[in-house]
Amino acid sequence: MNERAIEVRLANQIGYERVAMECSASFARMMGLSPERIEDLKTMVSEAAINAMQHGNKGRPDARVIVFMNCQGDTIHVSVMDEGDGIKQFPPEPDIEKIIENLDPPIGFGLFLIKKLADQVEFNAIDGGHVVNMAIRVKS
Amino acid sequence: MQQSTNQINLEQHGAVTLFNIRGDLTSFSEPFLSQAYQNANTKGADKILLKIDKEAYINSGGIAALIQILALSKRNNQHIGITGVSDHFKKIFSMVGITRFADIHESVENALEKMS
Repeated sequence: MNERAIEVRLANQIGYERVAMECSASFARMMGLSPERIEDLKTMVSEAAINAMQHGNKGRPDARVIVFMNCQGDTIHVSVMDEGDGIKQFPPEPDIEKIIENLDPPIGFGLFLIKKLADQVEFNAIDGGHVVNMAIRVKS
Repeated sequence: MQQSTNQINLEQHGAVTLFNIRGDLTSFSEPFLSQAYQNANTKGADKILLKIDKEAYINSGGIAALIQILALSKRNNQHIGITGVSDHFKKIFSMVGITRFADIHESVENALEKMS
């Protein structure tokens, strides 16, 4: 692990995403991220961790979610890893008009927000699981 | 970890029913919001103001729960306002489209003045 990096290992239980969220905020503050973008980062980390717990690890209490953060140059990289198979099929972007009319279920907001808020995001299979890699520039 | 819960007090301010929502907005909020909405709807509410804690943690589950209330209110021709939202969540609400179905107000006083 380089000097500007942290790793958090979370219990696979909804609520613990907030631990990762607060850690990411502290780390980002140390790296000089603006307060507005820190709020964006908190939402990205929270939503990625919730997805990892619910969809990746499928709620298994023995599974873990690992959140790794580092800062390289002017970019903070966040990886959220779970023990699942990854996303087989990405849900369409939530369409609030259709949800309001009861034509679509109210799902997909987490991924939608991650993609909207991150400067870069990718979803990859890794040995024994799946990772969401997100990046946010300190100076945009 | 303790499951988050909400306390929602309903207050009548003229024609506006204020939902004073205490606590975070997550997927666990859905039954609390739904129950509060049913109570208000039964009493004939036609203007509803959702007051959220400024410091509340709101995640995608909470957003979905809020949108379900917006859907019910649209079906029942009720006007919805939201207040107590931080700048970050104003942006998030705009991104997901909540602001197309609910007006965001700076304060309860401001909301009551505009909605009355």
